[in-house]
Amino acid sequence: MPKFLHTADWQMGRSFSRFETEDAAALVEARYEAIERLARLAVEQECDAVLVAGDVFDAQTVSDRTIRRVFNATKEFSGPWVMLPGNHDAALAESVWSRARRLDAVPANVHLALEPGLINLEAQGLAILCAPLTQRLTHGDLTEPFNTLETPAGLLRIGLGHGSVQGLLPDSVDATNPIAPDRNETARLDYLALGDWHGAKQINERTWYSGTPEPERFRNNDAGYALVVNISAPGAIPEVTRHSTARYQWHQWRETLSVSSDLDELLRRIEELPEASVLDIRLDGAINLEDDQRLNNALSIAEARFRSIACDRTRLQLEPTEEDITALHADGYLGEVIEELRIRQQDESPESARDALAILASLLKDKGAEVAR
Amino acid sequence: MKLQRLQVEQLRQFRKPLVLDDLQPGINLIHGPNESGKSTLVRAIRAAFFERHRSKSVEDLRPWSDSAAAPTIDLSFEHNQQQWQLTKSFLQRKRCDLVVDRHAFSGEDAEEKLAELLGYQFPKKGASKEEHWGIPGLLWIEQGTGQDIEKAVEYAGNHLKSALNGLVGEVASTAGDDVIQTVQTQRAALLTATGKPREEYAQLEKDRDLLQSDIAELEERIEQYQTQVDRLGALNEAYNRAEQERPWEEARRNLEHARAQYQQVETLQQQQTQDQATHHHLQQNLGLLQESQGQLQSQRQKLEQRQKELEKAQQTLEQEMLRAPAFDKAVEQARSDYETAVKAVELARLAERRGHLQQEITRLENQQKSLQQNLTKASEFGVQIDDARTQKQKSLIDATAVQKATSTQRQLAEENIRSQAIATRLTWQLEPGHRLKLNDSEIQGAGEQRLLTDSTLEIPGIGTLGVTPGGEDLASARRTLAHLEQSLGEQLRALGVANTEEAEARLARYQEAESRLRHLDDLIRSVAPNGVERLTAEHQDSGAQLEQKKTELDALPKSEQAAQETALSLTSAESNRSTAESRLSEAETAKRKHEADALSASHSRDNAQREWQQLKDELDTEKRQQQLDKLTSDIAGAEQKKADLEKTLQQRDSNIQQARPDLLKQDIDRYQRAAETLQNAQEGRDRELRDIRVRLEAWGAEGLEEQCSEKKGELEHVNRRYAELHRRAQALDLLLNLLTEKRQALTRRLQAPLQKHLDHYLSVLFPQATLEVDEHLVPGKFSRGNELGQMAELSFGAREQMGLISRLAYADLLQDAGRPTLIILDDTLVHSDAERLDGMKRILFDAAHRHQILLFTCHPEKWRDLGVEPRDLESLKAKV
Repeated sequence: MPKFLHTADWQMGRSFSRFETEDAAALVEARYEAIERLARLAVEQECDAVLVAGDVFDAQTVSDRTIRRVFNATKEFSGPWVMLPGNHDAALAESVWSRARRLDAVPANVHLALEPGLINLEAQGLAILCAPLTQRLTHGDLTEPFNTLETPAGLLRIGLGHGSVQGLLPDSVDATNPIAPDRNETARLDYLALGDWHGAKQINERTWYSGTPEPERFRNNDAGYALVVNISAPGAIPEVTRHSTARYQWHQWRETLSVSSDLDELLRRIEELPEASVLDIRLDGAINLEDDQRLNNALSIAEARFRSIACDRTRLQLEPTEEDITALHADGYLGEVIEELRIRQQDESPESARDALAILASLLKDKGAEVAR
Repeated sequence: MKLQRLQVEQLRQFRKPLVLDDLQPGINLIHGPNESGKSTLVRAIRAAFFERHRSKSVEDLRPWSDSAAAPTIDLSFEHNQQQWQLTKSFLQRKRCDLVVDRHAFSGEDAEEKLAELLGYQFPKKGASKEEHWGIPGLLWIEQGTGQDIEKAVEYAGNHLKSALNGLVGEVASTAGDDVIQTVQTQRAALLTATGKPREEYAQLEKDRDLLQSDIAELEERIEQYQTQVDRLGALNEAYNRAEQERPWEEARRNLEHARAQYQQVETLQQQQTQDQATHHHLQQNLGLLQESQGQLQSQRQKLEQRQKELEKAQQTLEQEMLRAPAFDKAVEQARSDYETAVKAVELARLAERRGHLQQEITRLENQQKSLQQNLTKASEFGVQIDDARTQKQKSLIDATAVQKATSTQRQLAEENIRSQAIATRLTWQLEPGHRLKLNDSEIQGAGEQRLLTDSTLEIPGIGTLGVTPGGEDLASARRTLAHLEQSLGEQLRALGVANTEEAEARLARYQEAESRLRHLDDLIRSVAPNGVERLTAEHQDSGAQLEQKKTELDALPKSEQAAQETALSLTSAESNRSTAESRLSEAETAKRKHEADALSASHSRDNAQREWQQLKDELDTEKRQQQLDKLTSDIAGAEQKKADLEKTLQQRDSNIQQARPDLLKQDIDRYQRAAETLQNAQEGRDRELRDIRVRLEAWGAEGLEEQCSEKKGELEHVNRRYAELHRRAQALDLLLNLLTEKRQALTRRLQAPLQKHLDHYLSVLFPQATLEVDEHLVPGKFSRGNELGQMAELSFGAREQMGLISRLAYADLLQDAGRPTLIILDDTLVHSDAERLDGMKRILFDAAHRHQILLFTCHPEKWRDLGVEPRDLESLKAKV
């Protein structure tokens, strides 16, 4: 009754340049933790093996440290790991894999599927049919040889591939590294473990994408899972369960503000988010000075709470109300300037006008505070 | 504000009180020599307002070495219909009392009230300085500072502006200038004055460029790395394939094979060379044999030739013999023809002779007849000639004499006519029946008569009338006539005729006979040219001839009629004969020639026969035959051998050609090179593989892509920071521009009233000049005619004048805004010439209508024409 863990697309060595250095480092760290969590999950679930369906590494020339850390992170699960080279870490003549071997960083229980063919895990009752990428891009279906690849009797036929299942994924037309959607049938596979699609996705009852165990982008596609596959006997329908492995949730919001209650709603949603969140907000519409201040405060609090929060207010116009202006004590020509900037926000490049208005408002506010003191 | 009274005591030189009262609303001219205390008075006024009564910085007010002094200033003035009374004491007795319309203030309250009224500040500590003086600083001009106006305006700025705000109803922003300054500061942190990025903003640009170049370098290295990896993959594959296939070994095998093949070909070529030598030898031998055989064969051929020649000669002979009868026959025929032709010629001759004779006879007969006729005619003509001769004899006359007589006759006639013309003409017309007798001739009826000689006219019954014609000529004529008549008569007589007519008739008959005679002579000569006798002889001769011919004809043999008819003409017959003769001759020649030919042929045949026989006898020997047979068999043997050899040679040559030794040689070369190249290539691959592996290991350890990714992260941060600063810089720039712009617009509105006052004064001094006020309300740009420049660039005197004008304009402005305006001038305009000073006096006088002016001077004479009473400080002091 073999049971194994299906994961993929670890993309180790990826850096998160859009974030602040500190946040980026945390996000990188989370990916190593994800491997450790996978190992623990495999132990907890009493899995016989862990199959990694490609893109373990984000690039060929990652640092030696990265290579060593990846393999170190697997140590909690001492059963066999099968790692398949994907498009990011293809098994080229010289690759991250050959470097790993030179570094002697690969533990004995980690099998590298650097050549197409079989890896028999007889003790575990699994025959792994591997279709590694040996070039950066291929336009032929590398899993096709599975059809004619014979496996020892009694072992489950488990396909391990990396690429786009044709006709089922968005943007998969003319995609490189194509995979036939009925490969499990033509190759008589008990299960086909796939990587490349970063969300967990079922193609058919025997074919799955596990997705990446730790999300690394905002695109909302069910990332952050590992699959535990349980197959009672050769030919039996696999029993697949999703296990959350993500540390951080990534959210990207596009909101339009027009009245104060819109902001209330936004702030409420922000408050409700868990702390392990990566949040990207882009706002448009208009906001008055008071609400702008409220938003600033809320974002300041959120910055401290969340892993990362970014808010793009370029398209959000500042619309000071009469009360705002009165409160600012903007008499004389300052009033004229404020009016002018308000009007200029409607122009072709409203950004500068908006920023200028914000600066002026803050200066006047500070002054008011000074006077009040 | 009108200062009414000023009193100072215990202040510098004024130890005793000095009172300056009765001050006028307009100009007050206060004069005194140097050191008389003018400046002390001014200082006193300033101290009263500007210095805190508690100030410790007013030691200069203390009279010299008077430690107990309490310098005191008493001021009375009116403003806004309120009476202000200020008493201020310093040092020993620090006090300040102000009474405004019975409201009393004291101490600092009083001081603040004054400051508010006049528009100035107190220093936080220490002595009051320029920057505190505000409006009074502008309007109270100390000695020698009239030209410096900028600072004063700046210090008075806020007071001026607030006055202006009230005036033009604009609200200047209370916080505006501070905001502008803050924005300027913040902008300056990012941008230089000219808008170039600075400090962090500029540094970010540099960092960005640096990072970009780093990234580009890393990316290039990554690309190199990937290229190398690809190369490694391809090379590895090629190496392994080559190791498996070992193509150089195959090339070696091919090389060996080609070499073996080439050796075989070389052996063949050697054999070929040997056989070719044999072939050459054989060919030579065969040549000799064939030559011998040829010689023998040529004699046989000669015999055959002779045989043929013999046959030919025999044939020719026979032919000649066959042709002989034909020639004989031809001669026979020709001869017969010839004889016939000769006979024909004879016949023709005979016929011709007969023809001739007959013709002669006919001719002679005709001749006979003609001669007979001529004889007859000749006798006739002879008779006629005799007749004519008789006639001629009868009518014989001299033709010349006849002619002469005729001529004379004619002369006579002419003379007669002439005499008639000159003769006297007598005409008459008589009655019928009446007759007259003229010279004995009766006349009747009408008529006329010419009279040459004396004439008588006898009238019957009457008498006679004599008429004598006049003139010599008439006489001459009468003589000539007579002469001529005589001559004529003689001639006629000689001729034997009665008159000329008869003479002429006789002459005609003579001439006619003569002519007939000549004609007949011609006729007779025509029939008998040689005379009649001869003619007769001829007639007889011809008769004799005729007889002879006839006899001859008769003598000719008479041929048959037919023969005569067919007989050809002689020429034709002659021609036929000649033809026949030539034919005969030809035939005979031909026959002779034939005979010669036949003979020759016979000789030829005999020769040929002999030669043939000779050679035949010679050839028909046994030895000869044997020789020939051997030769023939030898040749056949040699040819067979040669043919066999040639076949072998050809076969072998074709074998050699098929083997293509040239290509084999090239193949050997090629395979050799290929083997070397292939092996070298493999070694090269091995080397390159090792190189690339080493290189990739080194590069891989650097973690290029991770580095690059980190750099990109840094770049992104820099870019983000840069974009933020850029946005902020742009926003600040925009904000500053807008603020400045709005502020300037406001200032321009504020400037207008000041400018108006300024123009008012300036036009007095320089009618065409302008002086513009800048945004800080400071007079700046000055223009006069073509002159254009800043006020600061003018001469000291002019600057002083402009300064004063400007201050007066400010005063007007302040007054418009309801502010107090007291103007104090301490020995001002000392640098002005008389003319300008005049202008300035007009200006001051004009200003004095609106403002109170205290004018202190040590040159009272210069201000005499101001129209005010000067007050002598010395006398004021004396008064005390």
